[in-house]
Amino acid sequence: MDEAKYSLKDYKSDLKPIWCPGCGDYGVLNALMQALVKLQIPPHKMALVSGIGCSSRLPGYVNTYGFNGIHGRVIPLATGVKLSNPDIKVIAVGGDGDGFSIGAGHIPHAARKNIDITYIVMNNNIYGLTKGQASPTTPVGEQTKTTFYGNMDEPINPVRMMIAYKASFVARVFSGDPKNTIDVISRAIQHRGFSFVEVLSPCPTFRGMEQFKLIREKVRPLPEDYQPTDEVRAFEIANDNDFIRLGVIYRQDRPIYTDIMRKMQQVSEKMGKPEILDLLKQFEP
Amino acid sequence: MARNNNNIVIGIAGSGGDGVISAGEILVNAASSDGLFVFMLKSYGAQIRGGESSVRVRMSSEPVATQGDKLDILVVFSWKDFLKFQSEMLLEDHVVILSDLEDSFPEENIPIPADKLKNWYKVPFNQLATDAAGTSLAKNIAMLGVISELFNLPKTALEKSIKKKFGGKRKDIVEMNLNALKAGRDYVKKDIEKKDSVLFEYTPGEPRIVMEGNEATAFGALYAGVEFYAGYPITPSTEIMHWLSVYLPRYNGVVIQMEDELASINAVVGASFAGRKAMTATSGPGISLMSEGIGLAGMAELPIVVINVQRGGPSTGLPTKTEQADLMQAIWGSHGDAPRVVIAPSDVEDCFDCTVLAFYIAEKYQLPVIVLSDAFIGHRKESINPNRIRDLKYGFKKINRRITPTEKELEDYHRFKVTKNGISPVTWPGMENGMYQAAGIEHDEKGFPSSDVSVHAGMTKKRWEKFREIKREFSFERFYGPDDAELGIIAWGSTKGAVKEAVARANANGIKVQAIIPQILYPFLIQPFHDFLVNKKRVIFVEMAYAGAFRRYLRGFVRFGDFGVETVSYRQTGGIPFTVGQIYDKIVEEYEKKDA
Repeated sequence: MDEAKYSLKDYKSDLKPIWCPGCGDYGVLNALMQALVKLQIPPHKMALVSGIGCSSRLPGYVNTYGFNGIHGRVIPLATGVKLSNPDIKVIAVGGDGDGFSIGAGHIPHAARKNIDITYIVMNNNIYGLTKGQASPTTPVGEQTKTTFYGNMDEPINPVRMMIAYKASFVARVFSGDPKNTIDVISRAIQHRGFSFVEVLSPCPTFRGMEQFKLIREKVRPLPEDYQPTDEVRAFEIANDNDFIRLGVIYRQDRPIYTDIMRKMQQVSEKMGKPEILDLLKQFEP
Repeated sequence: MARNNNNIVIGIAGSGGDGVISAGEILVNAASSDGLFVFMLKSYGAQIRGGESSVRVRMSSEPVATQGDKLDILVVFSWKDFLKFQSEMLLEDHVVILSDLEDSFPEENIPIPADKLKNWYKVPFNQLATDAAGTSLAKNIAMLGVISELFNLPKTALEKSIKKKFGGKRKDIVEMNLNALKAGRDYVKKDIEKKDSVLFEYTPGEPRIVMEGNEATAFGALYAGVEFYAGYPITPSTEIMHWLSVYLPRYNGVVIQMEDELASINAVVGASFAGRKAMTATSGPGISLMSEGIGLAGMAELPIVVINVQRGGPSTGLPTKTEQADLMQAIWGSHGDAPRVVIAPSDVEDCFDCTVLAFYIAEKYQLPVIVLSDAFIGHRKESINPNRIRDLKYGFKKINRRITPTEKELEDYHRFKVTKNGISPVTWPGMENGMYQAAGIEHDEKGFPSSDVSVHAGMTKKRWEKFREIKREFSFERFYGPDDAELGIIAWGSTKGAVKEAVARANANGIKVQAIIPQILYPFLIQPFHDFLVNKKRVIFVEMAYAGAFRRYLRGFVRFGDFGVETVSYRQTGGIPFTVGQIYDKIVEEYEKKDA
């Protein structure tokens, strides 16, 4: 194998992460950069897009084209970038609040359109940036700053939701498990279509150090004979309350939006592509 | 007022299935074929699809700027539907009314005074169509046969226009409609004894092209080189997306229907970040949802064009009807000090100009540009001078893309470099060595987040510096009437037509008045207003907005008192556009005060 052109330092920006000590997002940043080294994606040929939240700071820490947009709109922002230049690898990142609360309305549409982007959600079950309010994945009964008497809302199960939306690649990993995280993120980036990776990324500051321990106790690899193309099996895995299964849980090969778009452009060109001013003819009586 | 025989206004009212709009379109095309100037206005009930609809067609051998105040001819397929439009369909004293013979609506309930009912023909439109074409669906065409014969409207051109309209369908459908047209004409010859005095007189000329405001906007965007459109359907703006979804893909552009306006604006910002000329179009409720995204484009200094085809508000408001109440929202409608340019088209042709101009400004200055159109312009058809579009008044032969850094600048690239005019070279994904982070969060010249107050002060200033340059580059005020008039009118957007015609009428009658209609509303170009005010003693602000936002806005910049100018506000809520008569009466009222 030829010597790799891009190494870790090429992907590191001059900005130093300001996440809390012990934050799970360090592991995600590291795994993402390792995946980029592995895939040798030129830094100028990708865009790292985010919304608002602790995890949405991530693009600033990577030396590439980044866009730290507004709260909840990472998916349409990424969609605009991808459709404008299908040759660019577009990776959207964010947290559970950004993605599943304020931004939840956008996810089914990117999934059904099969926009060829990768969406990494760092799920810590809490709002960290605003210092500890309930998120859509906070467990029932949990006391947070906005749920003093215990959280009343049934949490969202991101994997189950994504399978239901027909996201064409659905995976779950744990930021405390770098090897698997690098591998799955790499496969998500290589996947043609909308790929979703939930990273269990603990928040020691607002969920306590025991979150790491609890997750570590419950995580298991997928069964050996597991086939991610079986939708019913995928739902079973997503619904498993005893163990948190990690890996690529669901996958489907479907045409991607930008390919269909290019075909449509070709079809439309056959209908005539006159000088633009000659289009004025259609307004003649 | 005495009848002017080369200028005629026809109104048609009916329900959705009566083919009211189709009839109007066929008539407009026929008139344009014969070289007439036309103006066509559609009006619907709020349900948009189905329900009552009406159309108004004005044709003249002279250029026209409005739909005409009152109807010379009123066609009623159903009186019940007419009731919904009676406040917008005012009638001349000499009006000729044609209604369907079969309409069982009680005559005593018709809300028209007896003296205007003297020229009333009850015509069996339904029967004529059924006999001649085998279907009552052709009654709108039978009606066109009747009115063209009765009032000397274009005839051969009408046949041509029908062939064009139905030509794509089965051949027998064209035949059927031509039969219905003939049946209408024959009916007039045999069964109507003309008792009215309305007769159109004109000499056919070279065909003119006709466009709707929203089509002109879409066409302007394509001309300016738009590459990306993301949008969400909303009345009265959707035709812009319809048109672009047909044509933009042919030029390798993207049109995508998003899940809502939040998504639309963010996709547009994303596309601009990726280096594309990007736009969206919407109406008031959509703009409300887009406000945060427009602010993001301001902060990230990305060029975007946002069209607001205004409708009556607040909230859902009057989806199909016009108003000018979004001015302040356009100028100030995001949180924070977020500069954006606001320009307002004043007629259909101007929709083209303003959209081209919007892309020019957005790309050059790297900021959002809002084009404030409205339902009155967006949904009407007007004659267009194609040569004017071909020549492009402003000489923007090429809308240049935003400036990019030189290789030397890329050696130590500062995306948000503070420059004298606030414009800094920009890269986009795919360009080697140009990597940077765009952000909604405050950032330094490199693009790194910063909460440092001096950074914020410097960057805010940088973003606003662009306004200085824009004010230097443009002066687009339009003046109508003599400079030495002591009475002035300041109006904007779609009120131009009525103001322009009223000013012309007043000056013809010896009442000196001058109007000014700005095109770029923000940044505020003050000099033309100062020039305008030199000889003025009294100025009328005309706007279609109850709270008078335009007046308040102007008074924030122009010290009318320093010029010794008294100001009067003339405004009405949205729905029905101002008539020429209304503005004229106001001019006379204020003019007479000068001697008081």
